Amino acid sequence: MPARLGAADLVLRLVLAGVLLYASADKLLHPQAFAGIVKGYHVLPELLVNAVAVWLPWLELALGLCLVTGLWCEGAAVLSAGLIGTFWILLIVSYFRGIDVDCGCFSSTPAAPGPTETGPAPMLWFIGRDAVLLGLALVAARVRLGLAKEGAQ
Amino acid sequence: MRPVLRILPRILVQSFSILALSAVLAFGVNALRPDGLPLVQAAPSAVQLPQNGGEIGIKDAALLFVSGRAVFLDARSQYEFEQGHIQGALSLPPRDFAARFPGLKPRLTGKEAVIAYCDGELCQLSIALAEQLRAAGITNVFVLKNGWTLWNAEKLPVAKGPAGQTSQTSQTSQMSQMSPAGQKGKSSGLKALKPDLLKQDGLCTDCAN
Repeated sequence: MPARLGAADLVLRLVLAGVLLYASADKLLHPQAFAGIVKGYHVLPELLVNAVAVWLPWLELALGLCLVTGLWCEGAAVLSAGLIGTFWILLIVSYFRGIDVDCGCFSSTPAAPGPTETGPAPMLWFIGRDAVLLGLALVAARVRLGLAKEGAQ
Repeated sequence: MRPVLRILPRILVQSFSILALSAVLAFGVNALRPDGLPLVQAAPSAVQLPQNGGEIGIKDAALLFVSGRAVFLDARSQYEFEQGHIQGALSLPPRDFAARFPGLKPRLTGKEAVIAYCDGELCQLSIALAEQLRAAGITNVFVLKNGWTLWNAEKLPVAKGPAGQTSQTSQTSQMSQMSPAGQKGKSSGLKALKPDLLKQDGLCTDCAN
């Protein structure tokens, strides 16, 4: 059993790390654009927008690297789940506030205003996609903590 | 439950380490990279100013005036300044630049725009003043062409008297000053169409600058 758990842990970690690293890349390169997206959520005071926009991509990068290398892995798994969960709640809150935010999840460029902008479809898509990611992160954290608990016993 | 409690401190320490490390990296790199963001930022103005100075339109100038983001410099003579000027403007004729600029310099910092103006489409004073300011290291200098006439035409706030007394002028007294100032502005605007005549009349003593 531990061998299969170990394999599951590795796969989950690598997938989650891939998502986080991919998410951080574009935002690292374009902090100004990402700051605009953060501002668009209307949850942070003006004073904190830039600081958070600067920090978040690096946090995602650090989490991704930790998950890949296995360094501080339990903390990284729990933090990742918390981070994605926070984003998910923010998206849902924005949806019910009627704010059509640019997700800013994987790209700092605003979603192309195409023919899909007939309704709230992009928001629901963002929320659904994030729910899947949250599930992934939670399972990864669960598996990782299970392994850590076994080690601690 | 026991094992969970046993690994809880580890999770907390690791999480904190990741948060701290990423924050140090993020703000460190942000400080170093050329396109780093200012961390503390005032709400940006709706007025989009060109980076390298140049001319500014009356609408932009008025908006910056209202929001207190600009300082206005009157390039006309001291006499004309005392007859009437943009409220809160500082008198800085180009020929007195060397003597007056050091005293005024502290009041030009921290503003989004330093706006030089004089009167008339062809008036060169504000342009000369802007060049002197740029040479003195003020980068965000803009020229409000025909500024005094346009300002009065829009009945924007003006003040009379030497600089320093302007701040005591109340809003109501300015309202009463506006209409004569507006008439003056119109007439000088007409005169400005014939700068050569003005020079002959000796009215525009500074036009040669």
